[in-house]
Amino acid sequence: MRRHLDTASFRDGFVGMLPACVGLAPFGVVCGVGAAAAGADLAAAMGMSTIIFSGAAQILAAQLYAAGAPLAIIVLTCFVLGLRLLMYSAAMAPHLKPLSPAWQRTLAFLLTDQAFAAAIRRFNATDDPRDGASFFLGTGVALWAMWQATNLAGFLAGNLIPAAWSLDFAVPLCFIALIAPLMRNAPNVVAALVAGVAVLALAALPMRLNLVVAGIAGILAGTLAEIARERWKAR
Amino acid sequence: MEGALKLWAVILIVGALNYASRLSFIAIFARREMPPLLARALRYVPAAMLTALVVPMVVAHAGMPDPTHPRVPAALLAVAVAFVTRSTLWTLAAGMGALWALQALGR
Repeated sequence: MRRHLDTASFRDGFVGMLPACVGLAPFGVVCGVGAAAAGADLAAAMGMSTIIFSGAAQILAAQLYAAGAPLAIIVLTCFVLGLRLLMYSAAMAPHLKPLSPAWQRTLAFLLTDQAFAAAIRRFNATDDPRDGASFFLGTGVALWAMWQATNLAGFLAGNLIPAAWSLDFAVPLCFIALIAPLMRNAPNVVAALVAGVAVLALAALPMRLNLVVAGIAGILAGTLAEIARERWKAR
Repeated sequence: MEGALKLWAVILIVGALNYASRLSFIAIFARREMPPLLARALRYVPAAMLTALVVPMVVAHAGMPDPTHPRVPAALLAVAVAFVTRSTLWTLAAGMGALWALQALGR
């Protein structure tokens, strides 16, 4: 694996990801604070950031765990949230096909929203899969290292921040920063509206099932809205 | 299942499922095409799931829906700022700033 590592491409990926790392640092801190608030110890908090390595899934898991939801519901809800990774995996697959299984397994572990966006651009711009893979590895390593450092900082600072600062509000704000830019696309607006209304309307469902049911309702609504829009345009 | 053991079960199972999703079309189903309807539906996972996650955090306070809580206008301002700037830092600054201002006024 090492002999395929093109250090110039790796460096491009690593350095190119640094501005995004600065932007995502508060989200990492918020995830560390969230783990502390859910009652995780240091090992579990770092287990979440190193093994799950997905901010939204970490926050969701921590919140459902703190609310006493059963294991099966936590796993199901996080699984539905993680389904978007299938989309990234499918889009990345043709570019990673020429690489060895070791490369494929390593890069798959580092596949996140941000690494995907940066690496897919590089793969589309180059004919050399090794250049793209080394670049991808650089972005992934930069993100992973930043994520561990900021999660650790958040976990350690979590207990020191006064409750009057309402810092828990930073959690929904981080997600709003991810969702709001998607609202330029009408079916996404439909998906978000249906999910948002459904999660409140179904709040009486036991075991926090309202989250996953509302999420699936939103996904179906967005898909139907897209199909309806296509039919409308085709007329 | 109790406490730390349950949390570790969450970490390992969610971590394994996330990794399986990441690896899916790269290695596990490398020879298959994604069904087109699935590809379409997956595009709406972020907007739907993240909104379902966020709305109760903003609207429900201490377990009860409270649409008059200062978090609601602060979050709406954050949505507008995020839509325009696409920046996490500006979104956090606007949302936290608005919440602190409203809390100071309401005191």
